[in-house]
Amino acid sequence: MLPDSHAYRELGRLARNPREFFRSSKGSVELWVNLLVITWALAFMLWQGAGFAITVATIFAIWAILAVSLNLVVGFTGLLSVGHIGFFGIGAYATAILTSDPAYEQLRTEAIPTFGWPFFAALPISIVLAGLVALVVGVVFNRFRDDIFVLVSFGFAIIAFSVFLNWRGLTRGAFGIHEIGKPQLGGWVLDSETEFLALALFFLALAVLISWLIVSSSFGRVLTAIREDEKAIEVFGYRVVHYKLAVWVISAMMAGLAGGLFSSWTSFIDPNSFILLESILLISIVILGGLATIWGSLLGAMAFVLLEEGMRFLPFLPNEFIGQARQIVLGILLVLLMLFRPQGLVGRYKL
Amino acid sequence: MSDTHTESRTVFAIETREISKHFGAVKAVDRLTLSIPRDGMTSIVGPNGSGKSTLINLLSGTLPLDGGMVIIDDVGLKIVKAHETPAHGLTRTFQEVRLFDQISVWDNIMVVLTNRRLFPALVERVKPSYREKAKRILGDVGMWEKRDALAMNLSYGQRKLLEIGRAMALDVNTYLFDEPFAGLFPQMLEGVKGILKEMRDQGHTIIFVSHNMDIVRELSDRIFVLDSGTLLAAGEVEEVLSSAEVIEAYLGD
Amino acid sequence: MLRRDRASEGLLPAPFQLSGTQVLAAVLTVAAVGYISWKISQSADQALQFAFNGLAVGAVYALLAMGFTLVYSTVWFFDLYYGAAAALGAYGVFYLRSQEATFGRYEVSSVYVNVVFAAVAAGVVAWALHVGLYPRLRTRFNRTALLALGGLLAAGAGAYTGFVLAYPGVLNVMLSPAIGLLVAIAAGWVLYRGSRHILAGTSSVPSRVLATAAAAVLGAYCGLLVANAPGASLYLSWGVSCLLAGAVGLALYRGLYLRMRERARSPLVMLVASLGVLLALTAFTTIVFQSAPRPLPEAFGSDPWTVGGASIKGFSVFTIGVACAGFIALLLLLKKTSFGKAVRAIGDDEEVSKVVGINTTVVIAIVFFIGAVYAALAGLLSGHDTAIQPRMGLLLLLKGWIASVVGGIGNLYGAIVGGFLLGMVEQFGIWDLAGEWRDAISFILLILFLSFWPKGLLPRK
Ligand SMILES: Nc1ncnc2c1ncn2[C@@H]1O[C@H](COP(=O)(O)OP(=O)(O)O)[C@@H](O)[C@H]1O
Ligand SMILES: [Mg+2]
Repeated sequence: MLPDSHAYRELGRLARNPREFFRSSKGSVELWVNLLVITWALAFMLWQGAGFAITVATIFAIWAILAVSLNLVVGFTGLLSVGHIGFFGIGAYATAILTSDPAYEQLRTEAIPTFGWPFFAALPISIVLAGLVALVVGVVFNRFRDDIFVLVSFGFAIIAFSVFLNWRGLTRGAFGIHEIGKPQLGGWVLDSETEFLALALFFLALAVLISWLIVSSSFGRVLTAIREDEKAIEVFGYRVVHYKLAVWVISAMMAGLAGGLFSSWTSFIDPNSFILLESILLISIVILGGLATIWGSLLGAMAFVLLEEGMRFLPFLPNEFIGQARQIVLGILLVLLMLFRPQGLVGRYKL
Repeated sequence: MSDTHTESRTVFAIETREISKHFGAVKAVDRLTLSIPRDGMTSIVGPNGSGKSTLINLLSGTLPLDGGMVIIDDVGLKIVKAHETPAHGLTRTFQEVRLFDQISVWDNIMVVLTNRRLFPALVERVKPSYREKAKRILGDVGMWEKRDALAMNLSYGQRKLLEIGRAMALDVNTYLFDEPFAGLFPQMLEGVKGILKEMRDQGHTIIFVSHNMDIVRELSDRIFVLDSGTLLAAGEVEEVLSSAEVIEAYLGD
Repeated sequence: MLRRDRASEGLLPAPFQLSGTQVLAAVLTVAAVGYISWKISQSADQALQFAFNGLAVGAVYALLAMGFTLVYSTVWFFDLYYGAAAALGAYGVFYLRSQEATFGRYEVSSVYVNVVFAAVAAGVVAWALHVGLYPRLRTRFNRTALLALGGLLAAGAGAYTGFVLAYPGVLNVMLSPAIGLLVAIAAGWVLYRGSRHILAGTSSVPSRVLATAAAAVLGAYCGLLVANAPGASLYLSWGVSCLLAGAVGLALYRGLYLRMRERARSPLVMLVASLGVLLALTAFTTIVFQSAPRPLPEAFGSDPWTVGGASIKGFSVFTIGVACAGFIALLLLLKKTSFGKAVRAIGDDEEVSKVVGINTTVVIAIVFFIGAVYAALAGLLSGHDTAIQPRMGLLLLLKGWIASVVGGIGNLYGAIVGGFLLGMVEQFGIWDLAGEWRDAISFILLILFLSFWPKGLLPRK
């Protein structure tokens, strides 16, 4: 899917001389991981049939957009942000408020402002809004690094959640927002699951394309240098703060896009979708898949979604424990990765 | 330090006026005033902890000045911003080699070549001219074969060479090298010497820190001796190195 | 250059010169004092109430911050396990006292949980014996026999832990032998040393026998006392919970962080690993206890006293007292003992400490243990005050982290000051705002501090 040269080279070796490949590449974790996850995904689709697979694929697409965007910040720039869910939430709430149905809203007590805009008008505004907030936050956060950056990014997630929960005049707090608009192109409402999946995949492809353009540009190369040594790259004439701010804003805008998609897809949101834990899961996905590779983020998101769906079919696991079981698996995976593969499954950057 | 040049620019690449840097009670650089001429090679020597690296950090904006002024290329600066030093015609290497470890040797060079402006850089792809130059520099420092390796997997000597190459990739007037010869095997040492000489012959100002007096004698046209953050002596190499003061500073340490 | 010099000499004599951040600090302090005095003038009673609440909450934060600071200033990374440790502390008490907490409606005791903690205890005891006694004894005794005996002891300790956890209803009875034994050992040691001191170095056989007998009697008496006092179960459950959380912390260090520290490139690796630990343990707690909030059994002092219009709970006073006592204990440990010096030395330079002959592995292990015990203490104290929830750990962790950074990371005084400051700011902050904003308020305080005083109130010297 992506020009991940290493995996290609390995595949080439496999094609040319399978026996030699299997004998020599016991250690080629990357290829095995790729094969495993993709086979699993295909098997899952065949087994479950289209209906359920479409839902799962949509969830995957949204997580994947988030993971790809976060990898720009974490993997390529080296800023371990645990607050990305905040931008996701801003995008989701902006789209929700702009598109939710005023007629429905008036029936409720304590009306919040609603506009009934079409989705495709609301989405760009949501993206820009997420970007603007990121700009302000980024200016403040720009001076922090390493573990302190982790701490303040936790803080951003918590503050964002507080706002979603407590600014009742805008978000209706814990009651959430209903009747969020579906995407509509001319007279064509994309309200079937399949149509929405197509839309989500389109945006995922867009996010991947943009990320790829960024990381393979001169800008992207400077980002990796910033990740490695801020002080050293500064001596060569780059204003590190600007670069970090720029990638932070771009990444937040992508998260805002994912948020807009999410709220339109579920058509109801409340603050529970944007808790800190989700953010921790997100960063786990990024690290699991691999730092500083786009493909890794896709793989990580896929593994994450499949993990949850796969667990549904474990006979001994009661349904209400699935979320927790997944969390345990993810936690243990994180620990193991940090012990043995600090770059993640197919990553290019060791933490 | 002759005054015979008649260009409009002064003869000094770098001057400092009473610059200071204190770390708590340690006066790493203390009201230091010196002028480094444009032509030839200049070496900075001094016992360990005498403030050589701190001086270079101050000149390149890696550390903020506590006081005083730096004049680079006739521009007086009270605050030296690291990211503006290339525009003033200056770049450096670090004593504790600071490469971009987890990217390739090739990218370590390329990253220096790209557009400095943010938005053009966002859409800029690798240009043939960059590629040419990176190729040339990797050839110069003998690292062409290693171009795909990660910088962290190089040997110490190779890392030193690559760091010098990375500085060379930036076309500026003045290069500050912090201990470029330290810890090198004789063969590589000759290589680095050759590179520095070549750069000097192309008309660049080379300033380097070294503990190896043989190399200092061989290469440098003039020498500055630091001790406890102050200037102990400056001038012609032989003259300075034979002065009683300098000998005492070294032996007394 | 001249202009610069004049500026730095300034119009005012040096002590009165203010930098931008100092001016900001002054403005903020004045604003805070102004706001508080305005509030006091509005309602002094309520102000007193908020101040007291601030102290009570701050005490919990301070305990966590002390653990953080201790660990951070030794190994330079934030151990996020402490979030889980706080939850473990609280849920440990719940586990041991669930009959009381739910008025006998159900008991959570689960074989799996007991086995897990038994294994952890056995491992920790085995390691402690191996590090503490084995090197000294192996020259004198048969090694195989020693190893076998050690293994047996460790297995016994594990089994004992398992039994204690399996019969929480009679915690005092279950623990009485252990307490008796501990008292006997301590008393015997004191008597033996004392008699040697009095008899000027000669330790006669009769004096030894006497000391042993006295110690045994004292131990047995204390054991019986505990066994006959069901009311002691509460405090015993605190002790057990803290020890368990500490043991898990120690096991994590020995099993995980130590390996990682040998090869890690950056503290972020450890941070992420401990985040994984936190995730897994939080989920584990949720599976065992469900995510719904639970009450802890009433401790004591829940009938509020009225002091000048504010209602003050005895338990909150106790919490504040525990924080102060914990602070003093840690301070004495760090300042007065050779252990404290070793901690300091490792924080300054681990390699050098190793060369000097400090057993860094052991010292750091103890540091991790102490940190986790403090976190567990914080968790259970706050649990008695409010309901407990598996997720409580994450928030408490963040508060402790903030308090330690605001106070000045790496400085014990900073930890306690930061904790109380954070508690006060939170409480006064939610006077006019809804209570749900308190987490946001504490992070705004953090960001303010980091932006202008990144080293905190009392920087590490
Ligand atoms: N970042 C720093 N923090 C504290 N002290 C420093 C720092 N950098 C240098 N020093 C101190 O400043 C003095 C000069 O150091 P340096 O310039 O590195 O000496 P040199 O390069 O001549 O050996 C030394 O005493 C050193 O300990
Ligand atoms: Mg030096």
